[in-house]
Amino acid sequence: MNTRIRSSLIGGLFGFAIALISGGFAGILAGLVAGLINGFSVPQAEPLNNRAGAVRQGLVASLIASVLTILGIVIRSVLIDPVIGTPLNITSLLISIIGALILGIPVCVIMCVIRTEPPARERIGLAIVIGIVLVTYPWLDQFLNLRFMNEVIPVLVFILMALGLNIVVGYAGLLDLGYAAFFAIGAYAAGMVSSPHFGISWSFWLAIWVAAAVAALFGLILGSPTLPLRGDYLAIVTLGFGEIVPIAIKNLDKVTINIWNYPLLVDFDFTGGTKGINPINRPWLPVIGEFSPSTPIPWYFLILGIMLISIFFISRLRNSRLGRAWTALREDELAAGAMGINTVNVKLLAFAIGATVSGLAGAFYGSYISAIFPESFRFDVSVMLLCMVILGGLGNMSGVILGGIIIQFADRLFLPQFSTVVQKLIVASGNESLREVNFASDFRLLLFGLTLVLMMILRPQGLVPSGRAARVMPPVKVEVPHD
Amino acid sequence: MTNILETRGVTKQFGGLTAVNDVNFNVRQGSITSLIGPNGAGKTTFFNMITGLYVPTAGSIVFSGRSLVGLKPHDVTAAGIGRTFQNIRLFANMTAVENVMVGMHTRMRAGVLGILANVVGVRREEADSRQKAHELLDYVGLDASRADDVSKNLPYGDQRRLEIARALATDPQLLLLDEPTAGMNPQETAELTQLIRRIRDERGITILLIEHDMKLVMDISEAITVLDRGTKIAEGLPSDIRSNEQVIEAYLGRGAAAMAQKQTQQGGA
Repeated sequence: MNTRIRSSLIGGLFGFAIALISGGFAGILAGLVAGLINGFSVPQAEPLNNRAGAVRQGLVASLIASVLTILGIVIRSVLIDPVIGTPLNITSLLISIIGALILGIPVCVIMCVIRTEPPARERIGLAIVIGIVLVTYPWLDQFLNLRFMNEVIPVLVFILMALGLNIVVGYAGLLDLGYAAFFAIGAYAAGMVSSPHFGISWSFWLAIWVAAAVAALFGLILGSPTLPLRGDYLAIVTLGFGEIVPIAIKNLDKVTINIWNYPLLVDFDFTGGTKGINPINRPWLPVIGEFSPSTPIPWYFLILGIMLISIFFISRLRNSRLGRAWTALREDELAAGAMGINTVNVKLLAFAIGATVSGLAGAFYGSYISAIFPESFRFDVSVMLLCMVILGGLGNMSGVILGGIIIQFADRLFLPQFSTVVQKLIVASGNESLREVNFASDFRLLLFGLTLVLMMILRPQGLVPSGRAARVMPPVKVEVPHD
Repeated sequence: MTNILETRGVTKQFGGLTAVNDVNFNVRQGSITSLIGPNGAGKTTFFNMITGLYVPTAGSIVFSGRSLVGLKPHDVTAAGIGRTFQNIRLFANMTAVENVMVGMHTRMRAGVLGILANVVGVRREEADSRQKAHELLDYVGLDASRADDVSKNLPYGDQRRLEIARALATDPQLLLLDEPTAGMNPQETAELTQLIRRIRDERGITILLIEHDMKLVMDISEAITVLDRGTKIAEGLPSDIRSNEQVIEAYLGRGAAAMAQKQTQQGGA
């Protein structure tokens, strides 16, 4: 199939599904995203030297995508909404259709123009477009009354963590199944120093550094016993850590330590046990004042800022002596040692830096929801992060971000809303037997598993493979000898 | 001339098997020395003990007056020993230049904080090392257009050359080459022989070679040591080794030396 048509179908089906499930106004956003997807992939698949050709292809692709998105909007507004209790509103239907068109097509055309620029200017152009979309998004969300913001912020937290995990798994090739432990450690470290729990009430801006430092320290501590281990064994040990940390946190609420009959601590509440720690201080800034839970925009920009700074620094590490040492370690540990790389130090650094990123995410998350519980950091968080990294492309940050966006939005927005719509349709149809089925929670883990299995079979290098194509699990090559 | 490498009584046992037995071995500074022997003679095990992958069961290894026993591979590299592998062990998904730059790891200083702050020193070091990597690729005869190719996509002969460039990047005083011409055709072998000579002559790097290609060994070596079943059975000049009875028997079996001698006499008569 022609790449232009394929990419427009991917963008279009995406828009169609969002519009269908999240309603007409979400279709406007979907049109925008479909335009971005097309703008990325149309010139990518076939490097086009002539701009006119690229723009023409982009126009066709975005038209196809927009038509599909609009189809979704129409089906939702005309067929589904009236059944589930929202009467058809012609005005908002028209606004949605026009909105999807006027956002999707120009964005795609602009992207096509940028992508035919020379590489240096192309990068700047892409950064500007993505910047504009990211900066204007909160107001677009507000204007369209989408209320996605409360989900977008945790999505960004998880993407930040996936970027940290990518350092360990993608760059250094150390399969870590207990990464959520560092998220917990970061969140608790920040929570302990900025809440009434110990009576230490530091500002968020200080606590986040404490979280990063403590997480890094635990990265070193938990990393050191795994040093002689490789592959499966490493995965099993890290899996153990991932289980131990939340359980330890849960049980460290009555710590008694006796040293030679001298009671050093008696029933000392270290972590708050199952009750967790709350309330945790919120950030404060001049002009904005204290961040409030009801206005998500400052939070959005805060996490976005943390993420961008992390990306900036991670890419510096990536393209340095240390980044090359990580890749060498992943490719061939024995040869890396023989080339003068101290594999012990380099592994520990990967664990520590990965943990630091997760610690930042934990500190933000704790402050954002203003409370933390041991239950928030279970094994499935680690698995989900690993899914994000593998889906997007091991060792490639843009891939990991894409994988994160897909999995997180599917998990937090798409499935719950899908489930709500289906539920309403079932109620409307009067079929009592299906009432109890909850698609979001019942099928969630099945879908993750399915995604992982399919990816491993169809595209083991991920959606956006790394330049230094990373493989923790290399594909099996069957070679027939020609004798 | 001084010895750059001296081993005394080096022994390696794996369980009940003695892979290397009581080997005394010297490499003269600035020489090209070969280590030969039939398959399974313990040559690679011996290499691995020098480079820190194995710890000898007994004996001492002294490099430039410093004991290597117990050092980790990266410390041995830092001390000034570079190596290549019998089966090519490049970093398959990194480009040729990146492979060479990994070799410079111990000679670079950039630390985490310097990298994060991208200080001038780090930037300069990075640019210098990239430049030097290109020069090394050129030196071993890898085409400049191949420099940014992922190493697994390079032709076999180029991969062998790249491995040598990567080992040179560690800035060694002693270079250990483990069967560098394995799988090469006669022309490639001749080019590689040239390259090995140049590395010694132009860069003053001492070369220790494991090789099966006898023509190459006899041609290039200034000293040869022969191992058989873990034991040193001969050492000396190529001409001595060629006519050494024990060596011939090790390669061709008992009685072979007598037969060879008879043939030579008949041929001479």
